[in-house]
Parts: sequence; structure tokens; C-alpha cells
Amino acid sequence: MSRHITVDPISRLEGHGKIDIILNDAGDVERAYLQIPELRGFEKFAEGRQVEDMPQITSRICGVCPMAHHMAGTKAVDGVYGVQPTATGRLIRELAYNTFMFEDHALHFYYLGGPDFIVGPDAPKAQRNIVGVLGKVGLEVGKKVIAMRREARDMMTLLCGKVIHPVFGLPGGVSKRISADEQKKAIEISEKAVEFGQFTLQVFHDIVLKNQQYVDAIRSDAYTHKTYYMGMVDEKNQVNFYDGMLRVVAPDGKEFLKFKPAEYLKHIAEHVEPWSYIKFCYLKAIGWKGFEEGPQSGVYSVAPLARLNVADGMPTPKANEAYQQFFSVLGKKPVHHTLANHWARVIELLCAAEMMLEQAKNPALTDAKIRNIPMTTPTEGVGVVEAPRGTLFHHYWTDKKGVVTKANLIVATQNNAARIAMSVDRAAKSLIKAGKVNDGILNRIEMAFRAYDPCHGCATHALPGDMPLVVRVYNPQHELVQEIRRDMQRAS
Amino acid sequence: MTKTLVLGLGNEILADDAVGVLVARQLKDEFAGRADVISCALHGLALLELFIGYERAILIDAIQTGKNPPGTIMELRGEDLDKVYAPSPHYAGVPEMLELAEQLELDFPKEFRIFAVEVGDMRTIGGPVTAAVAAAIPAVCERVKAVM
Repeated sequence: MSRHITVDPISRLEGHGKIDIILNDAGDVERAYLQIPELRGFEKFAEGRQVEDMPQITSRICGVCPMAHHMAGTKAVDGVYGVQPTATGRLIRELAYNTFMFEDHALHFYYLGGPDFIVGPDAPKAQRNIVGVLGKVGLEVGKKVIAMRREARDMMTLLCGKVIHPVFGLPGGVSKRISADEQKKAIEISEKAVEFGQFTLQVFHDIVLKNQQYVDAIRSDAYTHKTYYMGMVDEKNQVNFYDGMLRVVAPDGKEFLKFKPAEYLKHIAEHVEPWSYIKFCYLKAIGWKGFEEGPQSGVYSVAPLARLNVADGMPTPKANEAYQQFFSVLGKKPVHHTLANHWARVIELLCAAEMMLEQAKNPALTDAKIRNIPMTTPTEGVGVVEAPRGTLFHHYWTDKKGVVTKANLIVATQNNAARIAMSVDRAAKSLIKAGKVNDGILNRIEMAFRAYDPCHGCATHALPGDMPLVVRVYNPQHELVQEIRRDMQRAS
Repeated sequence: MTKTLVLGLGNEILADDAVGVLVARQLKDEFAGRADVISCALHGLALLELFIGYERAILIDAIQTGKNPPGTIMELRGEDLDKVYAPSPHYAGVPEMLELAEQLELDFPKEFRIFAVEVGDMRTIGGPVTAAVAAAIPAVCERVKAVM
């Protein structure tokens, strides 16, 4: 017999970002789970649509990273039509994609993840937000962040037609040329982006790394799991967000697999649990051995920390220097501390900026050959990119007319689902003893999954109605016996 | 760039959540030259940059209070909104964005109106807008036009 506890941080969309905690007869935690959005409904919705429309349609999946879906979709459509972009088409795509990674990482670091570190993990709720971040780093920094993000978004508009839902990806290339004036502007913005990246790394060093308490938190067992890692690398095994091979390293850091993204079904499988509608990704070669860490378990992780762990270095000089320091401070590869994702994200932000500058300066950027016209009958294609939160897979099958007959999508957070569940489980076990559910569980459990930045983007854009944080305790008959409720704190 | 921003928020593939986008689409041509009409599915803090430089903003969005019948139109002013802190920065919304803009002394709209439409279904991917919400769209358009 067991009791059931539910922590529901965003009640607006039922089942999205909900935490279930199951107690045993003694009142201790048997297992805790995080349920996150999955896209089966979306895949069904895709059937019967023209495959060229998929990059536009899929960019609506998420209010946070439409560009990642647009790009994975565009690359999948390349595959469906058996066509590769021209050199300039690819260059424009990569420049746009790095700009997006830069912009999104800045959003996360300062607005979303930053509050835990910049303000502090134990700070009161009312301060753990962007306003609290500004209180700590100063208004001038805040203004700098806003101004930089705005310029990055201007650049995306220039490259992609629209900043929010890009419309430039076509099979075989892109829809719009870059003029000499636009290139000049792109170089100017990219130069500022590199400066901003260095500045952000300095902020991280000053506020986080100089505070022993934070460094200890990063290293603590509570946030450490020894799993496999997956990420995309270029031909030199350096981090690449747009294209390359997928590399997996084992918990001891040795290369375990390296494969072409189109072969992902040979290497990745999805496990189903009766209590959740999400499918948990695992490595086929190892198999599903439950929510366990270690080399014998197929659980793996993606996102910034995983990308740094699988690579031999960063492709740009300043980011590579930061990469070396990262591993010299946190120990040998791979680093297993989940909270190190925040640091890895800042290093990637700088890398994206350096890549932007390199690509913006490339004389080929203004070339007229932006697209190869598809000439073959459409069939099937896989498009994979590294989204800010990890590896994103789009796989489409079509009929001879290019109408989608089947779609398979694995979003970044699904790759991390098993490890996130393990982190939530560990936090819950450390807090709930003999049936006593402490109110502090809300904070600690949130911390455990926020480091991964699980994507609830599709659930975040409506006006809040009532959006409290709720822990529900159920008896074995699934009757509600206790409710701990914390409504949003209202400022005076 | 005009002095007024009309922003339709919502996700057009999530049933009633599309209402803000549908209203913005209807008003776009009529408001040409008088207001910049855009629609998107981004969340609060990612929206911040969009408002900079406008004197006033009219926002049309879905709302789920559960206290009104679907299709009910509510009008809110920026200053009417409680300054609330979401339980996590991931879920920060318009009130937090307004506070941030104030603290940063950004060139932000002085007048901030929100038309919110109570939804019935916001969960069905690809689901149609429910009849009650669809029926409210002409009235929302009229309300927005009246304040233009």
C-alpha cells in the first residue's frame, strides 16, 4: 500500500511539470517522478500536412525556443528531399542558430537559472527572480542585458525574416540573401556579443565561483549523478550546435558511441512507465535498468554540461580557455554535477558569440547561392540540432507528394527525463521522512529540476490565473488527505 | 514604428489559447499605419524587448481563472495587476515584466491595457477554438478598436 503526493507547480496545463511522490507504508518516499510535456499529440497533428510547412508549424511547439524546432525541422526537410544546403545557405543558418543560442542562454542565465545562483539558492522566494538578480548585479548590468538581447533579436529578424517564429528555412538552404549592409550590421552586433559573453563569464566568476558556498553546492552529492552523456560534435570532436556527429561518453569519460544523427533509432530507445505519459530515453546498447546511475544503466543526459563532457574542447579560443578552466576547477571529465550546467551554459554563450563573429565576417555570407533546389521524390528525413536544453530530434516520413504520414519528435527534455526523475527522487527522499511533508520540499524539489531547465515553454505564455504551488498527499485509495498550498506571494 | 503596439499572445495550435493571435490577425490591416500589430507565443520575460519604445500597448491574451464562463472578456490595466511573484522564474508573467521595466527605467509604454478572454479548452493540440471563445472574438475586436 502506498500514499501519493503531487507537487504541481504549473497547474495551468494539467500534467505538465507535475511532480508525483509515492510514499510507502512507513511514510517514506518510495519513488518521486517529474512529469514533463511530451509531443505525441503534436506528432498526430503533423500527419497530413505538407512537409515544407513543418518548420513553421513545429516552431509553435515552444514559446521559448521556436528557432530550435524551426532548424531541426528544416534539416529534417532537407533529409526528406535528399538535398543539402549550399555553403552560403548553411552559413546563414549557422549564424542565425548561434545568435539564437547566444540569446537564449543569456535569457536563461540572467532571468531563469540565474536567480538560484546570483541571488542564492536559499534566498526568499520573493527575491529569487529577475528583479532580485538586478538587486545583486546592479541596474547597469540589467540594462546591458536588455540592450544586448534586443540587438541579438534584431539580428535574428535580419537573418530569419521574423524573430519569434523564423520563416527562412527551406529544403536546400534559406529564403533570403544577406546584403553587404546587413553583413556589416551582423559583424557589429557579433562583436558586441563576444564582449557580452566575456562580461557574463566574469559575472559568473565574481558572483558564483568566488563564493565557496555556491561551489560546494555545485559539488554536493545531492546534485550529482554518474550517468552517460550525449551531445553533438564537429569533425574535431569540438562542440557544435548546428550539425555534426552525436557522441556519447560513459560515466568514466571514455567515448562509448559516435553516430550519425540519422541513425538515432539504432542507438536510442524510449522506456514507458505506467505512471507517466512521458517516454524515458535510454541507450539501447546498455538497456533500461531503471532509474539508476552508473555504467550498467542506459540513462544518459544532454544539455550544456553534457555537451562539454562529450567534447574534446570548444571550437573558439576564448570559450576553449574557459572550458579548460571549467574542468580544472571541477575535476576530470566528465563532470557529474548537475548544477555545473549553469557554468557550462555561460561558456557556451561565449562560444556562440565567437562563432557568430566568425560566421558574420565570412565573405561568403553575401553570396547569391543560398539554396539548392530539391529534385528528388520526398521520402524520409531526420533533422537534429543541439537546442539550448539539449539534443532535439525531428524525424518525418512522407508520401510521394511530400505529405507527412508519420512524425517522431524527441525534445531535449525527454533525453534528460530519467536523470531529472532521479534528481527529484533524491531531493524528495532527503526531505520526507515518516510521512512528514515539510513545506520546504517545494523549494528544494524545484531546485533539483530547475538546473536542467526542463522546458515548459508551451505552458508559459498565457496570463496567470490561479497558479499556486501545491503538494497533494493521497492515501492508498487515492483520496486526498492533505494539501499544502502556497499561492504566489503578493508584493505589498 | 508607430507609437502603439497591439500584441496578440497565444499559441494557435492549442485550441482556445489562439484567441489573442486570432484577434490580432483580424485587426492588422485595419490598424495599419496607426499601430504595430504582432502576435506570438512567447512568455513574459522573453516579451520584454518587444514593448520598448512604444508609448502605449494593448495586449490580447487568453486567461484561465475558472471563475467565469468561457468567452468572458476582461479588461485590465497594467497598474491594476497585482505585483505577483510566480512560484518560479520560469513562469514569470506580465506583472513581473512591468516591474522589471520600471526598475530598469526602460522606455516602456505608459499606458498598458490588457484584454483577456476566459478560455474553455487550452490543452488540445490542434484543437479548434471552442464556440464560446470564437463567438467572443468580434466583441474583443470592437473593444480594442474602441480604445485605439
